[in-house]
Amino acid sequence: MQVRFWGTRGSLPVAPKAGTIADKVADALVAANGRSFADKAAALAFVEDDLDFATGRSYGGATSCVEVDMGEGPFIVCDLGSGVRELGLDTLRRCAQEGRPKEWHIFLSHLHWDHIMGFPFFVPAFMDGAKIIIHAGHPDAEQALRRQQEEISFPVPFDWLKADIEFRTLETGREYEIGEVTVSVILQHHSHDSYGYRFRDRDGKVAIYSTDSEHKIDQMHDENDFAQFFGHADLVVCDTMYSLADSVSMKEDWGHSSNIVAVDLCHEAKARRLALFHHEPTYSDADIQRMHEETIRYEELTRDTDALEVLCAYDGLCVEL
Amino acid sequence: MASTLEWQVDKRDGGTVVAASGRVDESTATEFAEVLGEHAETAGARLVVDLGGIEYMSSRGLRALTLAHRRGEEAGTKIALARPNETMREILSISRYDMVFPVADTIEEALAS
Repeated sequence: MQVRFWGTRGSLPVAPKAGTIADKVADALVAANGRSFADKAAALAFVEDDLDFATGRSYGGATSCVEVDMGEGPFIVCDLGSGVRELGLDTLRRCAQEGRPKEWHIFLSHLHWDHIMGFPFFVPAFMDGAKIIIHAGHPDAEQALRRQQEEISFPVPFDWLKADIEFRTLETGREYEIGEVTVSVILQHHSHDSYGYRFRDRDGKVAIYSTDSEHKIDQMHDENDFAQFFGHADLVVCDTMYSLADSVSMKEDWGHSSNIVAVDLCHEAKARRLALFHHEPTYSDADIQRMHEETIRYEELTRDTDALEVLCAYDGLCVEL
Repeated sequence: MASTLEWQVDKRDGGTVVAASGRVDESTATEFAEVLGEHAETAGARLVVDLGGIEYMSSRGLRALTLAHRRGEEAGTKIALARPNETMREILSISRYDMVFPVADTIEEALAS
């Protein structure tokens, strides 16, 4: 199983300004300290090996879209944030080059704008012969997707899409065999509800997608259910938008969680890896990198037995499980 | 058997000092929240949580501090944290709880904060 991140930003897409790139280039030149490079490959090796992530690269700015790929069979996609535009094109390339079926199973965490805004730009939806099945815990998922393609919002109406598009409402407390995976669902605390997904492949590898999930301060006992749902996962993709202090004070009831709670849940679940996800749109690359470093440290400080590997999701990251 | 914390309570002029010893994690956080919350309502002007004996605290323990703070607010009690070890100091910083609660090196400083 591979988990591929196409969009990792929360709430709103962001893009670096000219000054942001100029800063990175200037920092890289200072770090190079007069070194010369024989060719671009040598320069890229310097970026890879010698520069920190926030200087040499970027976490990206597309909103939530994560692919759970088995390398064969239909495509499994979590959320339709702005990252799904690129996913659509890349999966079509794989259909052409690898003979993959033109079938996409989409799993929606919820229906808020940042998690569905990419769908009008999802090229497979425009293609005759494509099959798209949209799974959600919400019975009103179809209404949300149709509404954002009404004329007041978008020039192409939903009914003009040529793909065969089907909506299926999933229930918690049961398992579904979908494509190459077994899927189960958990209800999460968020405005108009959200749902987390547990994907298990035929080799027993497990990936969890749990975003836009607030773990309420007055309902901490519910976290046992999440620890069980995350149990022994190979990767947990977790909403870590705010600091713990923010999540229980000025940003309480905004529907998001913290890096600290994510680590604790993964420790309790004995998960192997955590991917920090749904990054705050006002955070710079340096802010996200600092949050990643602090989370690694918190994991070390509170670790009981086995280490939890803490990754920081970025647009373009691919994790092999 | 579930682990428990050891508690000491010291009434001082202007407030109460409550000290717990052990690890505040998912097995002890409920006890930590309940005991701290009760003291927050009766401590007087200042409740000092002496962290000197706390090995480390998970998110549930940190959030118990927030719940106690809320109960204390209704009773007019302010909470300060004192004597965190290096681990606790880092945890307070990473969680940004050091921006929510005053953190002092000594009990006296915490009482006066």
